[in-house]
Amino acid sequence: MGKVIVITSGKGGVGKTTSTANLGTALAMLDKTVVIVDADVGLRNLDVVMGLESRVVYTSMDVIEKRCELSKALVKDRRVENLMLLAASQRNRKDDIRPEQMQDICEKLKEDYDFVLIDSPAGIEQGFHNAAAGADEAIIVTTPDLSAIRDADRIIGLLQNEGIEPINLVINRLSATLVRKGNMISKNDVLDILNIDLLGVIPEDTGVIASTNRGVPLVHTERSPGAEAYMRIARRMTGQRVPIPDMREDSFLDQIANWFSKKK
Amino acid sequence: MDFRSLFTRKSKSSSIATQRLQLILTQDRFEVSEDSMKKLQLELTEVLAKYFEFTMNSVSMSIKREGNSYVLMADFPYSKTNKIR
Repeated sequence: MGKVIVITSGKGGVGKTTSTANLGTALAMLDKTVVIVDADVGLRNLDVVMGLESRVVYTSMDVIEKRCELSKALVKDRRVENLMLLAASQRNRKDDIRPEQMQDICEKLKEDYDFVLIDSPAGIEQGFHNAAAGADEAIIVTTPDLSAIRDADRIIGLLQNEGIEPINLVINRLSATLVRKGNMISKNDVLDILNIDLLGVIPEDTGVIASTNRGVPLVHTERSPGAEAYMRIARRMTGQRVPIPDMREDSFLDQIANWFSKKK
Repeated sequence: MDFRSLFTRKSKSSSIATQRLQLILTQDRFEVSEDSMKKLQLELTEVLAKYFEFTMNSVSMSIKREGNSYVLMADFPYSKTNKIR
């Protein structure tokens, strides 16, 4: 019996779909059986990020409306074994699906797969509730900026009301240079504010753009800081103890200040 | 005094963001307006002022997430020289 994890954020554009694609691929590379589910009905994109758009025949809507079997609607990944995609319908609206129907799909999928990752749409409406309906756990993706953190805080409250636990945090697009210069909220400040467990930090990596252009998730790229960060997160998700590396956010002055405060 | 303030002329934008965020989230989590917040703070201060002496503008309130619930935190700093009346 596997587990269902919803990947969500509140705000759009913080990296939910990129994270779902990369974590799904990374988990499959670690020999886990994985299904990634696009819950963004009407605005699907997970198939594009995975480079699988030409292979999608059926969607979750076809399964719900009994036009095809669940197993038949799953699209096999081109590069990794044990990785499947369940696409969302592009012609329907988010409220065409009810939470119980998503829950039903999740229940069936986790019988056969180790990990079911749900790519949630942005927002706090029906689409979000559908995405969270069948989830056992949640991963909140945020970038280190005011709007994204504020929305993440709201989403955490909503998920807690639904009894989803644990809720872990992924901080995406952190630039150690900007933090050092004092122009980006630091990892520790984000953690202090949101006060949930940290699953990992993805450094700003421009390689993501090329990876999306090609439809090849970043984790396939060797020696990319983003890919390495996603691989570490995936290892943590499988229960391995992998330390979160220090990104050297402290400036030289901070280090001196810390040294002084330790002396006291 | 903070050691760092000797070297940096203006406040860093990240600390401004963090401060703004703390205030925004306190209101979001509280689900009350800024006016109500200030009113509550004032009324609490009035009650406590019967027993303690402190400067009104040093009082601060925030809401922190602790597991599945929230903790309302109010700081009423008063100096040691002040005596309980």
